[in-house]
Amino acid sequence: MKTLNLILVSGFSLLAFSCKKQNTETTKKTDSLVVKKDSLVPEIHKEMYGIYNGTFSGTKKVNDENGEWDDFEEKRISLKINRITKDSVYGHSIVNGNQRPFRGILNESENSFVLDEPGNDKTDGRFEVKIKGDSLTGKWNAYTKSAVKFPDKQLKLIKKSFVYNPNFMLDENSDLVDWWNPKEFKEKYTDEETGKTENYTSEKQRFASDAVFKINASKQQLSEKDIKNLRKLDLEIIKNAVFARHGYSFKKETYRYFFEQTDWYVPVSGNVDNDLTKVEKQNVDLLNRFIKYAEDKYDQFGR
Amino acid sequence: MTIPDFIIQKGTKIFLIFAFSYFSWLMLQITLEYLPAKADASFLMIKQTEVHARPEYLYFFYAHVYSGMFVLVSGFFAVLRKNFGIKSFHKICGKIYIVTLLLITAPSGIYMGIFANGGLFSKISFTILGGLWWFTTFKAYKLIREKKYKLHQQWMWRSYALTLSALTLRIWKVVLVYLFHPNPMDVYQIIAWLGWIPNILLIEFLISKKII
Repeated sequence: MKTLNLILVSGFSLLAFSCKKQNTETTKKTDSLVVKKDSLVPEIHKEMYGIYNGTFSGTKKVNDENGEWDDFEEKRISLKINRITKDSVYGHSIVNGNQRPFRGILNESENSFVLDEPGNDKTDGRFEVKIKGDSLTGKWNAYTKSAVKFPDKQLKLIKKSFVYNPNFMLDENSDLVDWWNPKEFKEKYTDEETGKTENYTSEKQRFASDAVFKINASKQQLSEKDIKNLRKLDLEIIKNAVFARHGYSFKKETYRYFFEQTDWYVPVSGNVDNDLTKVEKQNVDLLNRFIKYAEDKYDQFGR
Repeated sequence: MTIPDFIIQKGTKIFLIFAFSYFSWLMLQITLEYLPAKADASFLMIKQTEVHARPEYLYFFYAHVYSGMFVLVSGFFAVLRKNFGIKSFHKICGKIYIVTLLLITAPSGIYMGIFANGGLFSKISFTILGGLWWFTTFKAYKLIREKKYKLHQQWMWRSYALTLSALTLRIWKVVLVYLFHPNPMDVYQIIAWLGWIPNILLIEFLISKKII
């Protein structure tokens, strides 16, 4: 059994190792590509470099048993433009934690861009946008119309500067209700006149406490004492505020909702793990432990 | 039609035995979370301050957790006062209960009470609980050495009522969290007291009414 385990473990680690190796190789390739181009082609319009953040909305006509109506969706998107040369533009888009690179061209006379995502993800498509001062507007069309709910979308973005600042906190007048994880429960209603009792299901939302305005896991080293009396949602917000400060684009609606209420939150990346400071890493580990404990034990027979 | 007293008594007894078995089963399950012993298992996940600052904490903690199960079960059989066909069964159970409790479970409980969660309010409760637990058990032990059976029985009831706070505390917690969703340490401060005070009051009431 032991030898089998050993073989399995070494097999897995080999696998992991080889995957990693491949990754570094590919990044190296693109790096060298960029470097090569750097030396050949001069960069232009550097003033347009940066992060553009705003709404990404789609509408479409739906015909179902309710008749004909317009379905509407709005998300937030960030476009980051990293490099512009005479014949190419590089950057990435990020929506709800999904980060996709793009490449395209700039039409200098109109300040308009055609930017293509790689196409190996079903949600990839083409941006056709224009930059005017600080604003970036335009449209996006999915390559595979049937693969996404809204294949044609509009963009309305403005340029934002992203700077990491450990002092950023949630606004004190933020809405603290988590609308995305309702708990259903049964309620009874007794009519006083007829005496009839009806059962119905109702929803309860979790809400955070004002501890989320006070405890900053990016600034000071937290101790168990500081967070022991907090419930799970508070712990989760305090932890994710660290990631929000680093521009993490959240996959979970709950966190997007909380941090999009601030004026400093700019999602720029789908992974910020390497940007965390030492204190932040320690605090995140501590908070993770308490979140796990709250999840497993809070309402259970136990301590 | 009135139900005869002996049926009510029998029914109550069966109900209590079932309830005890069920909650002891839950206790066993949460005890098994600590096997194998780890420095950050379960409850210890939120106790790392003590684990790091006090090298002895883990020893006291695990002594309490592991010995507690034996105290709970041996005490239960001792309280039934039946030998079930095994010679001196009551005596053996009683000995396991007294020795384990006096030497291991209660002292480690008092130590942990000093570093309990929930601040001074719950620390005081758990320390008093531990002290009373040790004292009532010791008293019952002395009384049986003096062959004072009735008093021994009464003090053992007191002792075991405090033992059962391990169950009642956790039951109260589930109830309070279900009803009020309090913050974790707020509920902890309440159950620290609610876990054992009603138990001991009930026993005192039953003793004063000469029911036990």
